[in-house]
Amino acid sequence: MITVYKNSAIPVTEEIVRFNDIYFNKYTADLLDDRARDIIKQIDQTEMLGKYAIESRFDGTKLNIDKLSTGCKTALNVMYNPNNIFDICECGENALEVIYGMDAGKVYCEYPMIAFTMEKVQGIDNNGVHEFDDYEDLRTWWKNED
Amino acid sequence: MKIKPIILDRIYTKHTNYIIDLQMDSNVTFVSGDSGTGKSAVYSFLLEYSSEDSRIRCLNYIDHNKDYKETIRNAKGILFVIDNADLLLNDEMRQYIALDTNNQYIIIGRNPTSLMLSQDEILGLDSVKNDDRTVFSLKKAFG
Repeated sequence: MITVYKNSAIPVTEEIVRFNDIYFNKYTADLLDDRARDIIKQIDQTEMLGKYAIESRFDGTKLNIDKLSTGCKTALNVMYNPNNIFDICECGENALEVIYGMDAGKVYCEYPMIAFTMEKVQGIDNNGVHEFDDYEDLRTWWKNED
Repeated sequence: MKIKPIILDRIYTKHTNYIIDLQMDSNVTFVSGDSGTGKSAVYSFLLEYSSEDSRIRCLNYIDHNKDYKETIRNAKGILFVIDNADLLLNDEMRQYIALDTNNQYIIIGRNPTSLMLSQDEILGLDSVKNDDRTVFSLKKAFG
């Protein structure tokens, strides 16, 4: 189950990663293993050819892994760095579905970004930890001021 | 606030086997949709095209430390292409863009708040393969 943070609940020692492209290119790309294949296939509908290479979904050419979509990079950031908090504001519905299906991961967004397929999510605000299994309940909590 | 495009109503360019054919009906074109549909690829092709047409200026996350807000506010006669718009544009800038009649915008992002867009102004990217070529164009996101 992933954890959604409200801004006020983010520990002072932690920083939100907002620029998922940069973080992925600098750090996460080095961590990728076979688990990344499925994520890349699900979100960008393409094959991972090697640790730093993917196939273009449009013409089959070999591309550097930095050409993954921002949504896919965000999902991989969340998966490979479960202790960091990532802004998911740039994720499409397909990337959100993957992120909300993960066993662990920390996310943030200024406004609700929720996959329609969500099942169970943990939310953290000033009042503590909450558990949500309903889209509308999570949305209402997320929209409320801290 | 829907007004006709004031700089260009069509962008047509080519990058090797990719053809980019964007038809724009309003001054602010908001492009959204699933991750991995080629939005940032099209941005990179438009960045290349901007070297041929000085009216086009491209901004993305690489510019976040630069004074891009002032660049927009001081511009006249420019078509701004803004990728990673959810990171670059706050509500204030989105309001400014919605009311700006000096410049045109293609905005790639997810949050259209404050842009005063109607549903038919929110577009997605369409890609069609013809033999070994791929044509990117805009399509309505809803309906």
